Amino acid sequence: MGGGKNKPELIVDGKRTDGRAFDELRPIKIEAGVLKNAEGSAYLEWGNNKVLAAVYGPKEAQPKHIADPDRAIIKCRYQMAPFSSLEEHNRSGPNRRAIEISKVTKEVFENVILLDNFPGSEIDIFVEVLQSDGGTRAAGITAAAVAVASSGIPMRDIPYAVSAGKAGDQIILDLNKIEDNYSDADMPVAIAPRNNDILLLQMDGSLSKEQVSKAMEMIQKAGETVTKLQRDALEARYR
Amino acid sequence: MRIILPGDKISDNPVRMENAIVENGKTYATVMGMLDDEHGSFIPLESVWYPRQGDFVIGIVENSKNNVHTVQLDSPFRGLILPPPRPRFGRGRDDRFGGRPQREERQEILRVGDVVSCFVKDVKREADQIILILERPRRLFGGKLVEVRPSKIPRVIGKASTMLKQLEDGTKCTILVGLNGIVWMKGENVPLAQKAINKIQEEAHISGLTERVTELLASQNGGS
Repeated sequence: MGGGKNKPELIVDGKRTDGRAFDELRPIKIEAGVLKNAEGSAYLEWGNNKVLAAVYGPKEAQPKHIADPDRAIIKCRYQMAPFSSLEEHNRSGPNRRAIEISKVTKEVFENVILLDNFPGSEIDIFVEVLQSDGGTRAAGITAAAVAVASSGIPMRDIPYAVSAGKAGDQIILDLNKIEDNYSDADMPVAIAPRNNDILLLQMDGSLSKEQVSKAMEMIQKAGETVTKLQRDALEARYR
Repeated sequence: MRIILPGDKISDNPVRMENAIVENGKTYATVMGMLDDEHGSFIPLESVWYPRQGDFVIGIVENSKNNVHTVQLDSPFRGLILPPPRPRFGRGRDDRFGGRPQREERQEILRVGDVVSCFVKDVKREADQIILILERPRRLFGGKLVEVRPSKIPRVIGKASTMLKQLEDGTKCTILVGLNGIVWMKGENVPLAQKAINKIQEEAHISGLTERVTELLASQNGGS
């Protein structure tokens, strides 16, 4: 989200900057089981985003004092590679943004993984963004969901995440980097498709009640496509 | 047979089965697997080992203190080998005048780093975690450990141990398969055994596995 004098036109002649329709997703490609050493892994390309996700565990929680006697804990690390974007991401260690996204990703999976089965243990989820072009938290969650499913860790559902936003008066789906930076609102949402449970809902900017409803509608419709791609990626390993 | 993913409905009725949950009176899968609609059986393609009483496991002694051995089982749960109970009366009684434990109660001497095979005697919930009480420890000398995904273990063993027997005969190795996903092998052709086990892991879901493994073993044994 940004403004000022240099704000680019996000919608020209009824089309978006990259020529997409308002409710059109960028091309998505998912591959499951790409890392041999991980229990589960996935590689995802979402437009120009390239994300690698890996899952390890369940294993004994370390250090001991963080273990929960009733359930497993999830450790999640979202990180952008230093070369992933045009902007600077080359500081060592996680920054404020990465810590936040790690936290929300962890909370998404705390609601779908059956943690009660493994008391005192931990499950590690790693999301590495190799190339970024807006909407990497949605891409990260979608990739991590495939990675968890391919690891055999029991889960209630395979969640997906898509973002929607507002450019001018128009609600747009799946914002890219420019739209992300200069739109009037950005709302990433993660959903467990079986019951349409909302696992994550964040928002930058402002949307009216009707606009939120419309955005949710678009996200759920796009979710059908994303879910299908996730399923295809998982099933492709066993064909 | 069709592939089922986590969250897919297995049945409209509540069915108590492994790797599934019941929500609102319906049964849903929690892992990827193959569902046989006719028989209602659900075989996981990927799963995590969950310990049960009587499971045969292989692990590495991690710690040894006061005759209690901690065993690393490559799982979130830690295994414990407790010292055998001391007889109070009779020949094996424990006193300071030369009483020795009776033969069946004598335990292997284990040191840190030893590879052991055991059976799960009990799955106990301790204050902060689940602990597996192990029994009948047997120290394994030499050999090689290979990790196998726990969901593929039944295929490595085969129906009535046919696959395991075939592997042992074809490679002239002794192979012990721990349900926790650790396989121990020792013998003449360990690399071949490892190759065959990797093949089983990769192709476990494709039918005709036994024939392909037979072929592999025959071709590597000089066509014999």
